[in-house]
Parts: sequence; C-alpha cells; structure tokens
Amino acid sequence: MSGVLHAPTPPQSAALRSFASQWRTRPADSLSPLREQALQRFLSFGLPTQRDESWRYTNLRSLAAQNFVDAPQEARGDLGPGTSLSLLGNTGSAATLTLVNGHPALPLTGGLPKGIEIHSLRHISQVDPMQLRRYLEPLPDADQQRWALLNTALFLDGLFIKITSRLTAPLVILHVASGEDANAIAYPRVIVEAAAESGATVIEQHVAQGEHTPLINSSTQISLGRGAQVEHYRVYATGAGATHLDSLRIRQDRDSRCKQFTVALGGGLVRTNLEAHLDAPGASLESHSLLVGHGDRHVDCVNIVTHGAPDTQSSQTARAIAGDTSRLIFNSKVIVDAGAVRSQSQQSCRGLLLSPAAEIDTRPQLEIHADEVKCAHGATTGRLDPDMLFYMLSRGLDRETAQSLLVFAFLADVLTGMSVESARAAIENALISQLPDSQTLRKFR
Amino acid sequence: MILLKITNLSARVAGKDILKGVNLEVRAGEVHAIMGPNGSGKSTLAQVLAGREDYEVTGGSVTYEGRDLLALPAEERARAGLFLGFQYPVEIPGVNNVYLLKAALNAKRKAAGEPEVDAYDFLALIRQKMKLMHMSESFLTRGVNEGFSGGEKKRNEILQMLVLEPKLAILDETDSGLDIDALKVVSAGVNSLRHPSRAVVLVTHYQRLLDYIVPDQVHVLSGGRILKSGDKSLAHELERRGYDWLLETQVA
Repeated sequence: MSGVLHAPTPPQSAALRSFASQWRTRPADSLSPLREQALQRFLSFGLPTQRDESWRYTNLRSLAAQNFVDAPQEARGDLGPGTSLSLLGNTGSAATLTLVNGHPALPLTGGLPKGIEIHSLRHISQVDPMQLRRYLEPLPDADQQRWALLNTALFLDGLFIKITSRLTAPLVILHVASGEDANAIAYPRVIVEAAAESGATVIEQHVAQGEHTPLINSSTQISLGRGAQVEHYRVYATGAGATHLDSLRIRQDRDSRCKQFTVALGGGLVRTNLEAHLDAPGASLESHSLLVGHGDRHVDCVNIVTHGAPDTQSSQTARAIAGDTSRLIFNSKVIVDAGAVRSQSQQSCRGLLLSPAAEIDTRPQLEIHADEVKCAHGATTGRLDPDMLFYMLSRGLDRETAQSLLVFAFLADVLTGMSVESARAAIENALISQLPDSQTLRKFR
Repeated sequence: MILLKITNLSARVAGKDILKGVNLEVRAGEVHAIMGPNGSGKSTLAQVLAGREDYEVTGGSVTYEGRDLLALPAEERARAGLFLGFQYPVEIPGVNNVYLLKAALNAKRKAAGEPEVDAYDFLALIRQKMKLMHMSESFLTRGVNEGFSGGEKKRNEILQMLVLEPKLAILDETDSGLDIDALKVVSAGVNSLRHPSRAVVLVTHYQRLLDYIVPDQVHVLSGGRILKSGDKSLAHELERRGYDWLLETQVA
C-alpha cells in the first residue's frame, strides 16, 4: 500500500479531488483497506483520455471539472413495481427489486420465491465481510476497468443475491437514477452468486427520474457455480442527459452456462464493459449486444472474454444500428489462455447506418495462446440493402415502412434469442419507438 | 384500350447504355412475350418499368393507363397495379412473408380508398392462393424468400401476384430454374389471372413457357431495341433457328 502513496500523481482535477473527499465520508470497516487500494489505483489511472487505447472513442473530458457528490438515497414519487418507470411493467410472476442510486428502496423480503436469498451490501459488509471480500478482489488492473475500481471504492450499498436452486420466474432489478443536483454520482453495485446447479434469470434495467440524472457508475458481478445457468439482461433506458459507466464481470465454473444481453436504448453517453472469465472446462457464454443510436447518443461497448480452461465456448453477437448523429462502438476481444485447448469462440458484429451523420466502429480481436482452438470473427457495417428496399417498394410499401421493416429484421436475431417473452416484447416495443416511422411498424408486429 | 405504351425508351445502367429506343404497346387483355439473347436488355426493361432508381432513363417516354409512368416512384407504380415478378427474388430474413404481403395489399387498398383487409379474410385468401401454388404451410411463418429454393422463390412471386391482382404483370424469367411440374403450377397461376382488363408481359429465354401461357404477341429484344415482333409462331421459329438469323437480317 505504501508504494501506491508514492506513485506519481497526475495533476488533480476537481473530479478526482471530489472522489477522494467522498472516500473520506465512507465509514471505516474491515473492508476499508481493500477499498482504499481500489481508490488509489483508480486515482493513479485518473480520468481516461482518448490517448488511452480502450478509451479512444469516448471523450470524458467534461467530467474533470465536476465536483461530484453522492446522489440521494431516496427518490421522490412512486417507485413500486409496475410504475411507468419500468420498461418491463408488471411481468406477472417476476419479483422486482428497486434500487435508487444503488440503495435498495423496498424491503427485500416478502414475495420472493424459494431458492433465493437477497441481502443489502451494507448489511453483508457488517455481518459477513469475508463473503463480500471475495467479490472485491482481486482488483482489476486493466485501465478499461478503472470505473469498476471506483465503484469498489465508493459504493454505499447494493444487492447481494444468492441463488440456490432453479428459479423459473425472472428477477427484475430496477435501477432508478434520481437527483436534483447536476454534480451527483451514484455507485450501484449488484452481486449475483449462482450456486452449483442453480439457475435464474436476472433483468437489470436502468431508468432515470427527476431533473438531473446522476452520473451512474454501476458495477455488476455474476458468479456461476458448477453447472449453474444464468440468463442476464442489462437494459439502459435512461434519458438523453444520462451518462452511464457500467461494468459487468462474469466468472464461470465448470459446465456453467451464461446467456447475457446488453441492450442500449437510452442514455446520452453509455460505456458498457463486459469482462467474462470461463474458468473451468465446459463453461459456455453467449453474449448478445443490441446498440441503438438515436439522437446524439454515444454508446461504447467493450467486451473481453477470457477462455481460461479447456473445452470452453463463447459467442458474441452484436447488432448496432445508428441513426441521426449517434455514434456506436463495439470492441470485442477473445483471449484464449495457454492450456485452454479445444476452446471455441465466435464474434459476429453487424452495424447498420441509417443516417449519413451517424458512425459505427467495430473491432473484433483475438489473442490466442493455445493450440487446437476454433475461433471465428467477423464484422460488417453498411446501409440498408438497396435490393431488399427495392423489392419492398415494388410491392407498394412506402419507403418508411420498408426501411423500418428492414431495420427491425436486422435486430431480430438478437431479440429472438431472449427467453423471457415479456422482456423481449417490452424491449422490442421500446426499440420500435426509436426507429423511423414506428407507428407503421407497430401494425406489422 | 392501351394499358402500356413505351415510346423510344433509352436507359443506362452504371454508365452503360442498355436500352436504345424501345417501342412497345400492350393492350388490356393481351399477353406479350419478350425474348432475346443474354444481355439484350430484357431485365433492364423490366426493372426500369418497375421504377428501379439506379437505372437511369436517358430518353423516351412510358405511359401507363395514360399517365406518365416514369414520373411515379416504384411504390406508386405498384399501387397503381403494376407488378414485377423478379428474376432473382431477394431474401429478406426477419421480415415475415405474410407481413410483407399484407402490407403490400393494404398499401394498394389505401391508395384506392378502400379499408384495410380484415385479418381473417386475408389469411383465408392467402391459404386459397397458396393451395393453388402448391405451397406448404411453413411459408406462413418464414422470412421473405428466406431459405427458399429457386423454384419456391418463383412460386412465391406468383403467389404475391395472385394476391395483389395487378393490371399489368411483368414477369422476368419466371420460368428459369423451374422443373416441368413447377412450370405447370406457375403457368396455371399466371393463366388464372388472365382477364380482359389485365395484361401480362413475359420476359423469357425459352419457348417452353409459351406452350403453357400462350402469348398474343412475341417480340425479340436485342442490343437494346425490339428487332422483330410477331405472333406466337415467332417463338417457335426462334426455338428452331435461334437468334442469329435475326441479327444477321438486321445487319444486312
């Protein structure tokens, strides 16, 4: 730790000073030393600049001058499940947990099915800090994970979800970002631990309420035990003024299966990280990303999947669709560690440009240190196929309808993979409203 | 009544002159066949009539029911009753066959001031036409032409034509890639649409199709012009003698 203190400190911005002040307000407990290390490591990275390789597409310079303060722990108004805030509405059998700026807003017990235990992180850090400690270290040292470090240092509360059997109904986590102060920041943290042979569907949805949306620095970790099966969704549905820095880390044990959906259909600036580790033979991951560029939205999606054991499988499918002056970036990387023989991976990214001022950048990468692996990747970006368009026009469809149908068809691959029908329908519905001529398109669903 | 009148039509594709003064008149109730060697401009003519934007019309005029056809965008031509059966129907994965067909029919009905088709009636109509075209139920749930064989795609074109009931159907090599049974099915479909108020223009390489759909007139298109027109016996003569004798006559 002493080494960290002597590390060269870059010129401190107001933002970095405010993070340090926030740290000083955090109560001391047995996890504090570890969390302070995370803070120091973040501070030594500093705010990313576009000279940092993994941040070259996303400019966060405007954050530097801000004096961040903690977002409020409570929101105004009704937050019950099924409020208009929730994209998914009342999904029937699903249990909904609401977090306001990362703070659990409703009593966590009651209405929960068997086979699931939910605690607040504040509670766990008091009664069983060792259990939490496992999820705070090892601290990531890669610069693209710096915001996860800041979250580790400064989160105030969050959810610890333990799944012990196969759950049928999905669990919905509604993240509400709410604030009146333009300098507010929130650190939502969610930990999902799926025990051996358990199974669950977890849907995280980010929405905003109130005049100013705090900067959202969220972090989710999912750990899958032997043979566990988890389907996870993260849906960004905040307003155009929201900035979102989200990290998702997944660790998978033997024969576990994870299906992950990242859906960006809200927010002004969204940076989403996925870091997955296939740690034992037979683990498989399916990741789907759906990035929708509307207005001047900026979405920067970075996936890194590490095959750390033999006979592991991963697939990454991304569909990016950019209209107006939006910009979408999808960078995916597969790393096959030495010894992870017979690993199989696929990366497929397709981009669709709907406006001359929109931009899509994709970069699939492979880093292979083992033999006998099967790794494929491909990326294409273009405009709507003129042959398809002409075919539909020649059948009498107006141009808007024809374009909308093609756009929707483009996204269908990812949507049809969603097992939760209500989630799929809700996401589809929200997505359509951001496409040209949505009224017409709705009629054909 | 003259349904389609093409006068001295010239067109260019990717900087290359393809049509060099085509003249053609099609009356309601008639079936015309346009034949000709590869690269003669047959498909270009079909695409230009349907309104493909990247095909540049450089001269001449086309009237359809007395209106300036070339002034209309593709979708308005379709709603006015013009139908192009594509030589290579495109696959559109993710757009359902039935969606497309229903959207097409409703677009046409809307243009005619008619209400949208009732969903139940529509399905009944489709099933009836599918039966006529010997198409399987799976068609209803699939994407437009998605994974269809060549023959299935052509049958799908004719199915669309039967549902949309165009006044003028231009069928671009609908017979290519069909086995004899499929050819009979497709021909029966086309014949079922023949009516004194409608016309059909068949673009084809082979006389074989014309045994099943008997044309009133046959034209030979070559080098971007119609070289010769005649009755159905011209098709038999072409089958026997090929195109070369015509080209030679022209030169002389």
